[in-house]
Amino acid sequence: MNRGARSNQKMILISAALVLAIVFPHIAPYIALASEILIFALFAMAFDLMLGYAGMLSFGHAAFFGLGAYTAGLILKDFYPSVPLALLGGVIASSLAGFIIGFLSIRRRGIYFTMVTLAFGQMFYFIAFKWTGLTGGDDGLQRVPRPSLGPLDLKSQIVFYYFLLFSVILCAILLFRIVNSPFGKTLQAQRENRNRAMSIGYDVDKFKLRAFILSAFFSGLAGGFYALLLNFVPLNSLHWTNSGEVVVMTITGGMGTLFGPVLGAVCIILLRDIISNFTESWTFIMGLLFMAAVLGFRGGIIGILRNKLKLSI
Amino acid sequence: MSKTIQLTGMIALLLGLLVSPAFSAETLKIATLTDMSGPYAELAGWGNINAAKMAIEDFGGKVLGMDIEYVYRDHQCKADLSNQKAIELYEKEKVDVIFDCPNSASGLAVTNQAIKYKKIFFAITSGTTRYTGDLCNRYTFHWAYNDYVLATAAGIWAADNLGKKWYTITADYAWGHDLLKHFSAALQKRGGTLLGNEMVPLGASDFSPFIIKAMNAKPEVLALLNAGKDTVNSTKQAVEFGLRKQTKIVHALLFPEDIKAAGPEVFADNYVTASWDWKVDQPGSKEFVAKWVKKYGRPPNWFNAGNYSCVTQYLLAVKRAGSKDPQAVIKALEGYKFNDFFTNPGYIRAEDHKRVGKAYILRAKKPSEIKEPWDYFQIVGEVPTEQAYQDVKETGCKMGEF
Amino acid sequence: MNIQFIIMQLFNGLILGSIYVILSLGLTIIFGMLGIINFAHGAFYMFGAFVAYTIMAYLIPNFWVALIVGPIVMALFGAACEAFILRRLYNLPPLYVMLFTFGLMLVLQDFIRIVYGAAGVPFKAPASLDGAINLGFMFYPKYRIFLIIITALCSLGVWLFLSKTKLGAIIRAGTDNSVMVDALGINISRIFTFVFGIGIGLAGLAGVLAAPLQNVSHLMGVDFLVDCFVVVVVGGMGSISGSIVGGLIVGEIIAFGVMVWPPMAQTLIYIFMAAFLLIRPRGLFGREAFHE
Repeated sequence: MNRGARSNQKMILISAALVLAIVFPHIAPYIALASEILIFALFAMAFDLMLGYAGMLSFGHAAFFGLGAYTAGLILKDFYPSVPLALLGGVIASSLAGFIIGFLSIRRRGIYFTMVTLAFGQMFYFIAFKWTGLTGGDDGLQRVPRPSLGPLDLKSQIVFYYFLLFSVILCAILLFRIVNSPFGKTLQAQRENRNRAMSIGYDVDKFKLRAFILSAFFSGLAGGFYALLLNFVPLNSLHWTNSGEVVVMTITGGMGTLFGPVLGAVCIILLRDIISNFTESWTFIMGLLFMAAVLGFRGGIIGILRNKLKLSI
Repeated sequence: MSKTIQLTGMIALLLGLLVSPAFSAETLKIATLTDMSGPYAELAGWGNINAAKMAIEDFGGKVLGMDIEYVYRDHQCKADLSNQKAIELYEKEKVDVIFDCPNSASGLAVTNQAIKYKKIFFAITSGTTRYTGDLCNRYTFHWAYNDYVLATAAGIWAADNLGKKWYTITADYAWGHDLLKHFSAALQKRGGTLLGNEMVPLGASDFSPFIIKAMNAKPEVLALLNAGKDTVNSTKQAVEFGLRKQTKIVHALLFPEDIKAAGPEVFADNYVTASWDWKVDQPGSKEFVAKWVKKYGRPPNWFNAGNYSCVTQYLLAVKRAGSKDPQAVIKALEGYKFNDFFTNPGYIRAEDHKRVGKAYILRAKKPSEIKEPWDYFQIVGEVPTEQAYQDVKETGCKMGEF
Repeated sequence: MNIQFIIMQLFNGLILGSIYVILSLGLTIIFGMLGIINFAHGAFYMFGAFVAYTIMAYLIPNFWVALIVGPIVMALFGAACEAFILRRLYNLPPLYVMLFTFGLMLVLQDFIRIVYGAAGVPFKAPASLDGAINLGFMFYPKYRIFLIIITALCSLGVWLFLSKTKLGAIIRAGTDNSVMVDALGINISRIFTFVFGIGIGLAGLAGVLAAPLQNVSHLMGVDFLVDCFVVVVVGGMGSISGSIVGGLIVGEIIAFGVMVWPPMAQTLIYIFMAAFLLIRPRGLFGREAFHE
């Protein structure tokens, strides 16, 4: 397929995706689920920046998501009911955590890096669990308000969805620019061959740290949105199983593609909801699907679309 | 001229149709949100769903001329999923009321949505006193029990009958702390002493150090303030270390399903509070049990019975209110005194929306005493309502407006 | 806190540590030889307990039979998994294999929930191990002492097998460089099957041994899984001695954490692991090769 046809196909696909996103709340099982999908799509994209592009598997990303959620929730509830302020607080908190944890973990690579991030994630969970006065402990942070944003009445689920859609598309564009920038290319270079990147003169660790902070930034933003969606922050947002969720979504969707994790989030959350309404053995079915997925194809869902359907994404 | 009259007539009819409720085919939609695939699936799950279905059927399937529709959802004991499902039920499914919700964190999340959508939520299987305490609100009712009665009824009865020197092993999170607070207060009221307490992290698999410390203090009663897996583990290991030879054990929460899961010899001669038991002999109880056994092959547990009772009382309240409008129904529930097979006496307090009644004290039978399947408990005592439930002035509830 | 209590806790740490040791031995052998991070390891542990329960409840009500047959059944099950399914995944990036074992974990757990229910099943220690032994300064349950002895024997057995037998030598070589072993004409794929089977058999053994001590339910492996990863990392990935020492250390850390400040006990091992990794990433006995 020549370049012209390929970029035409890309435009068609992007337009189709946009149309789908706009009508999505009306075809999804319920609007709040569509909003949840958007939030995890953002979380998964942020995660893919680290996994797919920088080649770092973190199992503690729930810490950034949860930190963003709790900070935003606390600002909305106890400080000042302003959505922009809450989200800003959330990303500042998560980025700061990203800097600190990143700085300490980057020294290690591979499975050891993963385990260090897991350890940090669990420590955050433990602190939130014990600090009941601040976080509500096991009960979570209750009664988080969802104030209006200017003329937008965010209390309406559909208005909130479109607000989320707009924000997530903005973030997606930003992330797309980042991974295609020289910074992003260098990240991928060091993922492929660290020594060669270093020999060219790049300070590989600095790049990794920046990727870590950016990833934490967007994860915290997703967390802040989550607090607004639920009107409460569950303690589970900080648990390692939440980190596991986003790992699974990213791998299933297709790492290193940004759009793949979005598909992963959509498929997993939708399937889970639909299947669990049919049977309480949905865990069994999801497990089988994961196993079949790995046996059946390479490169995640994006891989299928690329190879079998010859789509150029 | 006639055309104008015709047009006016059409408009009047249309307006009349829009305004008059009698012409709309209204239904009452009821939902159960419960745990169907997580840790509470055996205790709640299908049992509670069947209870609600049976209650609707026995009511005749209709109320005030409206058909009753019923749906149910699985929240897997996850608070975030609970929140989402509550939104789905109230907004998309347009249910008028949600019942059940095991797990306190999940239930509290649902109250957030009940307030937002201005619809009723009956918390049945979860026990946190926050429903009727700092997070109380006009749209939430707490039915079957709460942590206060679990601790206080057992505490008072056991202090009077089993011994005054106590030790406690507590699950280290909000629920456990709540229970400990109320147990100690109950103990003190009856002149007992708490020799010591061990806080155990949730889900710990090894209780031996705590049991050893407890045994060293030589208490007459050991209270295990935990539930589910923790209860099974702590009791199994207490038996293993021979604690039961000198000490009686009192549980915060113990169900026939737990006993079946671990084996009756593990729990033999332990005590627990229950709001009801299938052996209870009050009007309507035996008939309900017989009906349930016929349909499901085994007796109901008191969560199931609580769900049946709650749905029935809700439908009766709708009838009394003459409308399904949540605010009218809420007013019909507040301050209502009644008796049914589950709670006799029964009273829904307006100040905090708690259903109160007496509490039973159960003893787990030894394997040799069990004569038929599910015959795990013997009723050994009762604690009257005023002693079992917390005084309304002390709950900390500031019940506001709608 | 008296000396008696401290010694008691030392023993309790050994108990917890013993379960970790046996579980981690399996995990580390599988990782060392096959490069697979087996997310389903906790689920296999749980499955082993249920196999033992089923044998005792429906076939032969004898704990010793279940103790021997259970792990053997699990080993065969593991070998079958490897031979028929996992083998196809070796050319995929490790993350995909990880996703696969994650799916397998969900399937195993939910299967048990569907068949046996969510509440769990009863499991008692054999009557011969009931009661406590008077160790002079304290009473300690017989079953727990048995557990410590079995773990020691098992570890010794695995170590002897790997260091003294020819097959053990092949496995050690394969862990180091499987391509070379293959090139030397040894059927490496059969070795892989055998090793995976052994690893899962060990997981099953841990499950049977732990069953009398705790609630036997479909979720009993979930908490242990993460802790096992901690042990394997601390001990050194692929190292047998690392699993043994690491398992015991982690067990003792939890036991002492419980003495000092119980809420913190579980988190303490994460802090310990993080600190360890930052100072000595290859673990106690691991090799530099596993660094990346």
